[in-house]
Formats: sequence, structure tokens, C-alpha cells
Amino acid sequence: LVVSKMNKDAQMTAAINQKLIETGERECLKELPRAKLTECGWKGQLKSHCKEVIKEKGLEHVTVDDLVAEITPKGRGLVPDSVKKELLQRIRTFLAQHASL
Amino acid sequence: MKMEEMSLSGLDNSKLEAIAQEIYADLVEDSCLGFCFEVHRAVKCGYFFLDDTDPDSMKDFEIVDQPGLDIFGQVFNQWKSKECVCPNCSRSIAASRFAPHLEKCLGMGRNSSRIANRRIANSNNMNKSESDQEDNDDINDNDWSYGSEKKAKKRKSDKNPNSPRRSKSLKHKNGELSNSDPFKYNNSTGISYETLGPEELRSLLTTQCGVISEHTKKMCTRSLRCPQHTDEQRRTVRIYFLGPSAVLPEVESSLDNDSFDMTDSQALISRLQWDGSSDLSPSDSGSSKTSENQGWGLGTNSSESRKTKKKKSHLSLVGTASSLGSNKKKKPKPPAPPTPSIYDDIN
Repeated sequence: LVVSKMNKDAQMTAAINQKLIETGERECLKELPRAKLTECGWKGQLKSHCKEVIKEKGLEHVTVDDLVAEITPKGRGLVPDSVKKELLQRIRTFLAQHASL
Repeated sequence: MKMEEMSLSGLDNSKLEAIAQEIYADLVEDSCLGFCFEVHRAVKCGYFFLDDTDPDSMKDFEIVDQPGLDIFGQVFNQWKSKECVCPNCSRSIAASRFAPHLEKCLGMGRNSSRIANRRIANSNNMNKSESDQEDNDDINDNDWSYGSEKKAKKRKSDKNPNSPRRSKSLKHKNGELSNSDPFKYNNSTGISYETLGPEELRSLLTTQCGVISEHTKKMCTRSLRCPQHTDEQRRTVRIYFLGPSAVLPEVESSLDNDSFDMTDSQALISRLQWDGSSDLSPSDSGSSKTSENQGWGLGTNSSESRKTKKKKSHLSLVGTASSLGSNKKKKPKPPAPPTPSIYDDIN
């Protein structure tokens, strides 16, 4: 069996992800944006956007999918640079620590 | 299942960076999703729009930023300039001065003028300075005990008759009205006769001059031999209040038996016997408590004893026997029959 590069990468990613979970680093990493994003107002912005969407769609008829589809791309874009940088830094540190899997 | 071991060190940085980016993207998407779920739940449960307020309410509770007002729009110092009407004297008093004014006005406060009045009356009554001092101490310490109104006195009737303070104050007074009858001794007793009951009047008249002053319409609280008034005046007052049978205490020594009211005397005799028994037992040693406590305003006897500051129990008994007619006790029970036991040796 020829292991394609892509496959290898995918495997690599999977392995890393697993490592993240195992060490509990993933949970730690999740906490970071939760606090930071609320603090910097990301959540507030997103909430007002939500209100618009809901008013548009009608309160009774809003579904999760609707919300996800509307909100997620906007949310991704709204993350402040500082938060992004910090997160990436922590990930890189983790990878460096666990260089030898 | 054990994962295949992979070495990251073999990967170049770009790959690492790519992986990092991927992980980051995952995290952000997780947060967004979580947020969406929260919002959706809020919408479906109905609390999503709860933190919104309508513009009208917003206007009502807006922060106030004017000079002289706090942020709620209230005026500072608003109550200082308010005036209240005193229920007692119907005067308009400033709010911040209202409490002290009420204290003076009703005469129930600690340093109210009533106490001062009583002190004055006391010093007139008694010719001793020491007793005044004692008295003052006691007065100042007892907010409500002595000089209060009769009503107040009834409320406070649980005051311990055995308390040292009471006997102490009674000790130095010569069996005068004030000592013997602390209940009765309010400022108005010795002064204005309208408020007195007949019993009080009688006992008052046995110990004080009682002549009514023309200008103040009040009874003289000085001693029975006060130089300002004559015996004739005193007699007149007594006849006026107590009827033609009333006599001056001073005149009593030999004539008492002739002149007292029958009914009164019987009551007195019974009282006397009661008093006498309590009197005799502890006071044979010669303590002066009982005599004072009973407040037998004795005529000549009392004046003598007053001067000497010593009251012999036998003297008081004799005195009481002799002055049956005029000496009416207000209360059937003397305030401090047990006190002699405490103060037996203090004389």
C-alpha cells in the first residue's frame, strides 16, 4: 500500500489532535478563546448580528442550521488579531513540546 | 489501539504552521458553534430579547447630570430645611432641631428642664446641700424614675424598692414629701395643685408650706415653716383643700387627737399599725430609713429631726401617732419597708 502524502498529513493531524485531547491541552485551548472573545466584545458583536438574523427570519422559525450558516463565517472573520495570535502561539508551543510523538 | 508513531521533527515549519492553523480554525469554529447553540436555545426559550428595554423606560432612568442634583435627580440636603410642627407646643421647628426640641418640650429627655425644675424644688424643700447633690446624682442617672408624670410612674412601678439608690436618696431626706413619695414627686406636684389628687394634696400639705402664690398660682414647696408665708396662710390653704377639719401639721402635737376625721383616722391607724410593725423590727437600732420612707411629715418632731439629721424610729412613731389627723399617707405601703435592713448601720 502506498501511503500518499495527503494521507500521511491527515494521519499526522489526527495524531496531533489525539495528543491534544489526551494531554488535556485541547480543553485548555478551548478556554482561552471563550474568555478572550467575550472580553474583547466579539460575542457582543455576534449577538447583535444574531438579533438581526432572527428578526429577519422570524423568531418562531429560526433553526440551528440557519444560525450556524449565518453566524459562523461572520464569527470567524470577527476574531480580533490579538486573540488569534495568542491562540496560534499556544498551539505552536504545544507542537514543539510534543515534537516526538 | 495504538497509533502509529510519527515524528514531527521530520516535518518542516510550514507543515507545522499549517497544522497549527488547522487547529486554530477548529477552535474558533467550536466557539462559534457553541455560541449559536446558546442563542438558539435563548430564542426558543424566550429569553433572548429580555435585556432590551423600550426607549420610554430608558428615558426615565437616564443618568442625571445637573448641578445640585445627584445622578438619580434627587436634591441634596432636602430635609434640612424642612420644618415640622411640634405636637406639644404647636410650633414649627426645623427638622434637624426637632428631636432635641421635643425632648425639652415634653420634658422626658435626659437633660430636660423638668429635672432642673425638680432640682430647684428639691433645694427649696430641703435645707441641706448634700442631699441636693445626692439627689442630683440620682436624678441624672434615673431618666424616668423620679420626676416623671404619674402615668410614667405607673409604667415604671417595677422599680425595685430595695435598690440601693432609692434608699440612698431617701436616706438624706428628712421624711419630706419628695423622699418618701418618689412616685408623687413630679415637678408639678409641689408646684401646681390642679393636677394633684386629694391624697397627694394631703400628703403634700403635711410636708410643705403649700401656700398658693398669687402670681404663679402654684403651691409653695418650701418647708412648713417657710418665712415667706404665715401660718395663717397655710391654714387657709389647708382648709381650702382639705375641708374645715384640716389642720396644720405644726399645730398638731397635742391637739391631734381632737381634730382628725374619723374615717381617715381609722384608715390611718390600720396603715400605721402595718407601718409600725415594719417600722419597729428593723429600726429599733435607730436607723432613719423607715421614718423617712413613711413620709410622716411631722410637725415639731420632724423639724427637730430634720435639723439634727437623725430620725429615731420611736420619734417617728410618736410623731405619726400624734399627727394622725393631718398626715395622710398616699400609699398604704411605704416604698421601702425592707430597706432598713440594708441600711441599718448607716446613720
